[in-house]
Amino acid sequence: MYKYIWLVPLLPLAGAAVNGFFGRRFRFSEQLIGGIAIGSVALAFLISAAAVISYGFGSHDGWPNPYLTSKDGFSFNWIPGGAVAINQGAEARQSIEAVKKANEKLALMSPEEREKATAVSVLTAGETPQTVLLNIEWSYQLDPLSSIFMLIVTGVGLCIFIFATGYMHGDAGFYRFFAYMGLFMFAMLVLVMGSNFLMMFVGWEGVGLCSYLLIGYYFDRQEAANASRKAFITNRVGDFGFALAIFGIIATFGSAQYTDVVNQAKEYPIELLGNWGILSWIALGLFIGACGKSAQLPLHVWLPDAMAGPTPVSALIHAATMVTAGLYMVTRTNVIFQHSQTMMLVVALVGAATAIFAATIGITQNDIKKVLAYSTVSQLGFMFMACGVGAFVIGIFHVMTHAFFKALMFLGAGSVIHGMHHEQDMRRMGGLKKYMPYTYWTFFAGWLAICGIIPFSGFWSKDEILWKAADSSHIPFGWLVWLVGTIAATCTAFYMTRLMAMTFWGKERFLEHQAGGEADEAHASEFDKGLGQHDALKPSAGDRPRHQVGEHVGLVDEHSSHHGGRVVHRPHESPKAMWLPLVVLAILATIGGFVGVGPAFRFITGSEHPGGKLNIVTWLSPVVWNPVTREFGEGESGGHEATAPATESHTAAPEHPTATGPYGDVGFVLTRAVEGATHSPLLTEWLFIILSLVVAGIGMGLGWLFYVKDTRLPDIWAARLRPLYNASYHKYWVDEFYGWAITRRTMDLARAVYAFDSRIVDGIVNGLAKLSQLSSRIVGGFDMYFIDGLVNTIAAFIARLMSPLLRAAQTGFTQNYALVMVLGLMIAVAIFFAADFVKP
Amino acid sequence: MTLSGSEAVIFWIFALAAIFAGLFTVMARNAVHSALFLISSLLSVAALFVLLGAEFIAGVQILVYVGGVMVLFLFVIMLVNVSAEEDGREEIFNKPRQVGASLIFCLLLVGGLLYGVSRGAPVLQSRIPKPENAEIQQTEANDQLAKSGTGTSRITADTQQIGGTLYRYASLPFEIASVLLLVAIIGSVMLARTLRQERSVDDLAPEVVEEEIGRDPELASVEVIGSE
Amino acid sequence: MLHTLSSIFLFLFQETTSGRVSFIDAAKHPDLSKFLVIGALLFIIGVAGVLTRRNIIVIFMSIELILNAANLNFIAFSRFLQESGNPNALAGQVFTVFVIVVAAAEAAIGLGIVIALYRNKETIWIDEIDLLKW
Repeated sequence: MYKYIWLVPLLPLAGAAVNGFFGRRFRFSEQLIGGIAIGSVALAFLISAAAVISYGFGSHDGWPNPYLTSKDGFSFNWIPGGAVAINQGAEARQSIEAVKKANEKLALMSPEEREKATAVSVLTAGETPQTVLLNIEWSYQLDPLSSIFMLIVTGVGLCIFIFATGYMHGDAGFYRFFAYMGLFMFAMLVLVMGSNFLMMFVGWEGVGLCSYLLIGYYFDRQEAANASRKAFITNRVGDFGFALAIFGIIATFGSAQYTDVVNQAKEYPIELLGNWGILSWIALGLFIGACGKSAQLPLHVWLPDAMAGPTPVSALIHAATMVTAGLYMVTRTNVIFQHSQTMMLVVALVGAATAIFAATIGITQNDIKKVLAYSTVSQLGFMFMACGVGAFVIGIFHVMTHAFFKALMFLGAGSVIHGMHHEQDMRRMGGLKKYMPYTYWTFFAGWLAICGIIPFSGFWSKDEILWKAADSSHIPFGWLVWLVGTIAATCTAFYMTRLMAMTFWGKERFLEHQAGGEADEAHASEFDKGLGQHDALKPSAGDRPRHQVGEHVGLVDEHSSHHGGRVVHRPHESPKAMWLPLVVLAILATIGGFVGVGPAFRFITGSEHPGGKLNIVTWLSPVVWNPVTREFGEGESGGHEATAPATESHTAAPEHPTATGPYGDVGFVLTRAVEGATHSPLLTEWLFIILSLVVAGIGMGLGWLFYVKDTRLPDIWAARLRPLYNASYHKYWVDEFYGWAITRRTMDLARAVYAFDSRIVDGIVNGLAKLSQLSSRIVGGFDMYFIDGLVNTIAAFIARLMSPLLRAAQTGFTQNYALVMVLGLMIAVAIFFAADFVKP
Repeated sequence: MTLSGSEAVIFWIFALAAIFAGLFTVMARNAVHSALFLISSLLSVAALFVLLGAEFIAGVQILVYVGGVMVLFLFVIMLVNVSAEEDGREEIFNKPRQVGASLIFCLLLVGGLLYGVSRGAPVLQSRIPKPENAEIQQTEANDQLAKSGTGTSRITADTQQIGGTLYRYASLPFEIASVLLLVAIIGSVMLARTLRQERSVDDLAPEVVEEEIGRDPELASVEVIGSE
Repeated sequence: MLHTLSSIFLFLFQETTSGRVSFIDAAKHPDLSKFLVIGALLFIIGVAGVLTRRNIIVIFMSIELILNAANLNFIAFSRFLQESGNPNALAGQVFTVFVIVVAAAEAAIGLGIVIALYRNKETIWIDEIDLLKW
């Protein structure tokens, strides 16, 4: 069954093509467009589910080996072998091959022979490095990692599509929206299902493009246009690094196929902290790409602004799928990352910094979508933290759970916005609990999940991340990462509770406050120009949700003519198309974490990773490289096993129980310290679990205190911590800094170049032109006065000279003519007799 | 053909007469005098023709040249040449420069001609009988001619010979000459028409008519033949 | 120069049988060359008349003189050739006939032109008819 995975990207593409090309022309109804879109995605989901099941649990299962569609012929020879010849890195490859062969030979010999063996020669003399012919094909790969992502993308995407049919109802660009969404699905699926880095890059760029198209969906809103440009350009900065990394990969490994690359890369020596080799360079380029795509510091600035797009877009792209592409890429190339300790440290620190940075900003934001955006950035930081400390599987696990609860919360926010007549400011919400029950209860589940409360999904992944950070043997400063992560988790709990309180609990502030202020995502280009309140009064050039003319955004209408004054609309629950996916996602957010029940519960479950292949760690382990065994698989077990010499190793060096691993001495490891105190690994683990629950509880409690119990407290504390509050509220002035340092400097440069071009270059050209003109005038003058004068003078002279002479012959006097005749006659006679007079 | 005896005398008389008559033709003040002198010159030359044995030509000269052409000349002189000249107020000769140049050229020309004659003279003289024998030969030649009716003079066959030659060997030029005379007749009639005559046969261009009516109003009243 | 001048007047002298060159004998026995000289002189007089006189009619009459001189020349040679025995001797006289014909025609036309000219210009002085002057 998994032979048919090549259909999975094609189906959404086909749906998008049909909607895009024919949707407007043939005036498809909303049902038809929605039907096509949802149907294509649903079909893709079913096929991918069937494929994954047959891959992992079927009779001819392919797990744990990656399955490439080219095996069954479903591949397209994209760049045929022979088009490009790579001879860089050939020596390195060959030397590694030689070393490997030598080691194999060595292993087969007896110990005595081993001692006698001489040093392995790397290259026999006269052997020339072989060139490799680069062969890139378009084929899909189904392996543990891509299967998870396929399911997430199509499954969560399906829920979001269904939600979007309800949310975008009435919009004149319905067909366009679903065309773009389908195109996005295609690009994302190519990204996660591709079998080589070039396909990943195609998908990478494709999702960037669709992000641009979808953020700027309301293209006549200045804010949306700016945001979409910002997203694309920031993405592009990351893509630059990614492209360089791909070049490096091709040059070093001679191929872009994952299978080739990772199988070659695992033979390379690990570059410890302080050694910076080719793999570190590649990892750096890859990480820059991941920063751009997954909104890590310093390239995070586009994600909050991207909330100008419609809410389903925010849910799908900026919560569940596109931003996780960076995680996918890092996990796919975890071999390369794990070979570079420096880069692992960088990844972990950047992730931690991002997590705390975004979390602190999220505390002070008032737009519901912005809070969720910063929450996304922060959670992405968590995921990179996980990857940085070597827990790639847990990072992917957190991707999964985050997709569930964040998409849920975004859709819930969309439902709230819809119910509040496109009001997005939380200060004008409150007490929506009783108006929108479905939305409220599903959002409640998401809230608990993100705060990390057992047994919701977020708990399992987040707790495991923090444990792995504390237990890290890959990098030093694992304890710092743990600390920062814990504080960020506290902040997360706090601001999510704040969101819940301001939106669903407490006083119904929408009764008092008038609509206005921040314009919502869809409305008021007038507001952008500062011309007035956000108002759906004037239809604009772009597609707009259809509201009644004069209908206000927001619930309070002070200018309404009837009822003599203010009209207050009540918020209403969303239609079924919108709350049904919420329910599905809420269920997933609740129970989705059980695939990753950690080793701390082994006393209950009986195994480190319960569930066999259904356990995510087990499922994903063939993808992750174990630096100890230098092979894929089975290495990422719980923290203890890394220290126990349970696994065999092919290397000669013996392992001590607490000896340094392949990464040397990483300094202080928190878990070991605690374990040293408690002398029980289980207790240590449970201590950390309880600690994380406690901090989550503290965060929730503070949030309740500030926003439910005593609502004066936020203002008091904001006043007390005014500088901190300002920094947080203004997002640490990062955008302003970028504007000053980069944008304005670039414009200055552009102005300077323009000035140079217009003054100097054009000046030279114009000067030459003037010079030519001048010279032409001089020559012309010379010609006119001198030459013509000369000619005229000579002509006049000749005329004056000859004219009277010649004129004198025309006397009109007949006898003159007769005289001339006689003269002629005389000459004739003279000639006749001339012979006589010529002396002989 | 050396002349001798009385013929020589006649020769000299008529030769000198011809020359002087020609000279006076050119130098006479009155055009009629000029014409008369020309007539006398022509007559003298006719006599010379007779001496040379071309009696027919002499007759033709007198009849046609003198009797026709000179009469024509006299008519025209009468037509155009009336008043002023007789008074003697008008100059008859051109400006001195022209006259001087002409005389110089003429002198040179005559020098050339005479030189030409002189050049052939010795050769000629070797072919003709010496003066002593000239008369004898002439008499002998004359005796061979036919006698006239009365028997006192001889008749030459000049006319017959000319007639025979003209009609036998020169018939084409003869006919052409007749055509030439025809053309001359027509041409002279056409050239000498007055404006009125031309107007009456509608031979004037309209703008010329306009112009001439300006000068001579009576032209307008001339009836054009053929237009009603 | 003197030699050239003297060579012009050779026709005046005739050689007698005794080899003596005599002027008198030449005069007593005029031959062809005398006739030619007469013709030349008449020709020159006519040319001078054409070039010097102002009266158009007189110019025409001078032209008649010229033609006449030419005629004399023709006849003289005709007689000379007759006596030499040339069978084409009469060509001179025949040609003279034609010259006379042409002279007559030309006189007629010319005088017609003179009359037309007189009607237009009211003058017979040739130097007053200078329309071709620049």
